[in-house]
Amino acid sequence: MSTKNDVLVVGAGLAGLTAVWQLATQQKKARLVSKGWGATHWHSGCIDVLGYYPIDESQPVESPGVTLAKLIADQPEHPYALVGVAGVEEALTMFQTLCAEAGYPLHGSLDKNWLLPSAVGTFRPTCLAPETMIAGDLRRDDPMLIVGIKQLVDFYPNIVAENLVKQGVEAAHLMLDMPKLAQRNFNTPVSIGSMMEQPSFRSDLVRFIKPKLGKAKRVGLPAVLGRYPSLTIKNDLEKQLGVPVFEIPGLPPSLPGLRLHAILLQAIERAGGRVYHGLEGVGIESEEGMVTAVFTEAAGRPKPHRFARYVVATGGILGGGIVTRQDGSAHELVFDLPVALPESRQDWFEQDFMDAKGHPVYRAGLTVNAQFQPVNGGSQPVYGNVYAAGTTLGHSEVIRERSFEGVALATGFAVGNLLAQ
Amino acid sequence: MRKIETEVLVIGGGATGTGVVYDLAQRGFKSVLVEKRDLTHGTTGRYHGLLHSGGRYVVKDPKAATECIEENIILRKIMPHCLEDTSGFFVCTPWDDPSFGDKFMQGCRDTSVPCEEISVAQMLREEPHLNPQISRCFRVPDGSADSFLATQVVAEGARQYNAQILTYHELKTLIREGDRITGAICHDLVKDEDVTILADMVVNASGAWAGKIAHTGGVEVNVQAGKGTMVALSYRVINTVVNRCKMPSDGDIIVPIHTVSVIGTTDEGVPDPEHFAIEPWEVKLMLEEADKLVPGFSEMRMLRAWAGVRPLYQETKVADTRDVTRAYTLLDHETRDGLQGFITITGGKWTTFRQMAQVTADRVCEKLNTERECRTHLELLPHPFEPGHNKTYHTLGARLARTEQQKGFGQLICECEMATRSDIERAINEGEAKTLDDIRRDVRLGMGPCQGGFCTLRAIGIWHQLHQLPIEEANVALRDFLQERWKGLLPILWGAQLKQERLDELIYLTVLNADHLPGEKASRLGPKMYEKGTVEHNPDAKT
Repeated sequence: MSTKNDVLVVGAGLAGLTAVWQLATQQKKARLVSKGWGATHWHSGCIDVLGYYPIDESQPVESPGVTLAKLIADQPEHPYALVGVAGVEEALTMFQTLCAEAGYPLHGSLDKNWLLPSAVGTFRPTCLAPETMIAGDLRRDDPMLIVGIKQLVDFYPNIVAENLVKQGVEAAHLMLDMPKLAQRNFNTPVSIGSMMEQPSFRSDLVRFIKPKLGKAKRVGLPAVLGRYPSLTIKNDLEKQLGVPVFEIPGLPPSLPGLRLHAILLQAIERAGGRVYHGLEGVGIESEEGMVTAVFTEAAGRPKPHRFARYVVATGGILGGGIVTRQDGSAHELVFDLPVALPESRQDWFEQDFMDAKGHPVYRAGLTVNAQFQPVNGGSQPVYGNVYAAGTTLGHSEVIRERSFEGVALATGFAVGNLLAQ
Repeated sequence: MRKIETEVLVIGGGATGTGVVYDLAQRGFKSVLVEKRDLTHGTTGRYHGLLHSGGRYVVKDPKAATECIEENIILRKIMPHCLEDTSGFFVCTPWDDPSFGDKFMQGCRDTSVPCEEISVAQMLREEPHLNPQISRCFRVPDGSADSFLATQVVAEGARQYNAQILTYHELKTLIREGDRITGAICHDLVKDEDVTILADMVVNASGAWAGKIAHTGGVEVNVQAGKGTMVALSYRVINTVVNRCKMPSDGDIIVPIHTVSVIGTTDEGVPDPEHFAIEPWEVKLMLEEADKLVPGFSEMRMLRAWAGVRPLYQETKVADTRDVTRAYTLLDHETRDGLQGFITITGGKWTTFRQMAQVTADRVCEKLNTERECRTHLELLPHPFEPGHNKTYHTLGARLARTEQQKGFGQLICECEMATRSDIERAINEGEAKTLDDIRRDVRLGMGPCQGGFCTLRAIGIWHQLHQLPIEEANVALRDFLQERWKGLLPILWGAQLKQERLDELIYLTVLNADHLPGEKASRLGPKMYEKGTVEHNPDAKT
């Protein structure tokens, strides 16, 4: 039986998980349903808050906190404007505390972006980075050795190192041929991550790398330092190699992303929240401007979930919460909430894939009032008990801004707290 | 300036030009082919991949139909590894006149195109996704052809007979001395330098570009460019080529090829073979027509769209390009224009490229006063990338079977198309690839649902490592390829494919930050984009 304070969150990305985590830790009864896992499995496992602003600026943002204030002043409809700089900061701090308690600290603050090497050797600005990555800090000038593994087809150390050198960083590269991996049919970041959990595999790795260290004072590896006990693995490698070690995130699936996902799941379950994967939201029932049930796909018939309040955190075009059609329309899939986007498909795209300002279609999303309630023009909510969080919100280009995780975390946190009051 | 001397110079690296240089080389002529980009960069690489039975032309253009079936039989013998033996249906939908079926049968008899009528029940047993309201179905020996591979195969055959194939050599001008063409000046795009090629005979096999090429030698050839737009569905909803049983028109065929189904085509005259758009109405029309054959087609996930330009030769202008003959034309400029040393072969279609090459090489022999027999219809062509695999038809599961046999899952670079590291390495080493797009044409890299999302980085990494590519070249090659994939996605981005593209953005921008790579943003070897499509409604539609 549901009570007045029960909340159902739809969507298991960073936004939905953060909202449920906040609700559950504040003793609210909260349930999360989702079709599958969220974008945590795709992204870098860092928390990007604001990397480039204005978005076509070629130099990265120095201080996300300072620039965030400017963005909020410039773009009152931006999701960050609903949260405010202080709200973003609170969400980051609480999340950092959670991760630190889980033994996987995230370092950084709104004061300064990290510049970390990407898997193609560019300077990637990010706000919070896990301890497994920060030795890659490009503001430090210790020479680095970038190490790849031949059996992992996703990572090419020579590209990383040569591009870094091109930009004035002292970097060398090394490609390892790991006999233990060569015997296996299939190697992915996840499977190599579990191999890394074996001390004997790590000793092999060290044996190959150590003689090639040269003048390197730190070693960069693809992000495969174990699924969960990654700090132990990193510390062990550092002890054996005698130099700091760092991970570089690359093609999905992302182990650093999976770790954040796992930390949130554990926190939610510890606090009594419940997360159900494999329940795809397919529609609702409503009465007098209030949603009375969300239906999920189940065998035989749709299953109703009746709660007092509902949070839509199903993501945007990427997450699958918003679906576009050939006729130029866009639809929010579960609640059929109005979506703001350019009217004609002809205006959806620019001619260049990497257009610096981004393709207008990706700004498609929900418009909400100050209480995160989706509205249809004006400030009157479409439903009195529906709230939205994460990249399902429109009016931002989270990929070009490098604000994907920041927007998800900050708005998920804010909605969780709002509903916990 | 670099200088090359040869007996025959062939201009154009599509099916026709490559066929001509193969035939000439096999007959013992010292031959050179120049192509401004990679082989099949023009129309050959931008069609739906149909091996015609001739059925399409039996009523409208019987001469073309006969040529098709003759060549269909020959190609099955000389390059089975480039073909899939899908067979084909001609079907009468509720929108078609069922009595056309009788005309069709008669046409097949008159042109020797094998044809049998089968029951609709049988048709549905074989292709359950076809519209159950179809009233008649005729089976013909259509097939599907990998025109990228086929052209590489023919080029490899030519090389084995010592022909020289020069890709990324763009013709600047023919060299004319009085009443004779004596060669051409080309620009090597990779080395960025000019090359003079002197030849006893120059063959213009540049398809829709034939008018432009001839013009540089001072003769006028009126080749109309007929744009055809095609859309690939991300699934193989049918395993048989399916044609509408009616006069040729827009969107009258679905071809199953490799992992996709292609609906084609429109036919719009365009003034310039280089500059045209894929219009929104064309995509819409293709999908509406596809729905008539396979209900629900338009609701499925689209993969990509592209457009090619058919070369349609005519001496006088006509309004509707569909009424121009699909049969090919050989122009002897000595008899036509009083210009020696120069012939043009144009028109035709992929299925008849070998015959066009034969006729052209015959004429070259005549011009050079020598008699040498054609043997291209007799010799089995090699497989340039998988030696020995040239004796049987290609099948859909072949790559999976090979990957399983080699236990090669761990080395898959392009999971969508099952291209392995060794495929990529061979294409780099032996295929003389200059761009990732060249590798794509050789091994189907990046042609599946994710359109380069995962394999672009991997392929660049391997290429860079293997060839010690300077890092700026690797960077721009990565961007060029992503842009090339984007080019064909733009017209069909909605629904699931738009979601996929956003994931590719997440990977290349958020995670890899590849928009901030050092160096140029695009190279001169990068893709030329289609113009922006603006026409929402079919201008020819009757209201």
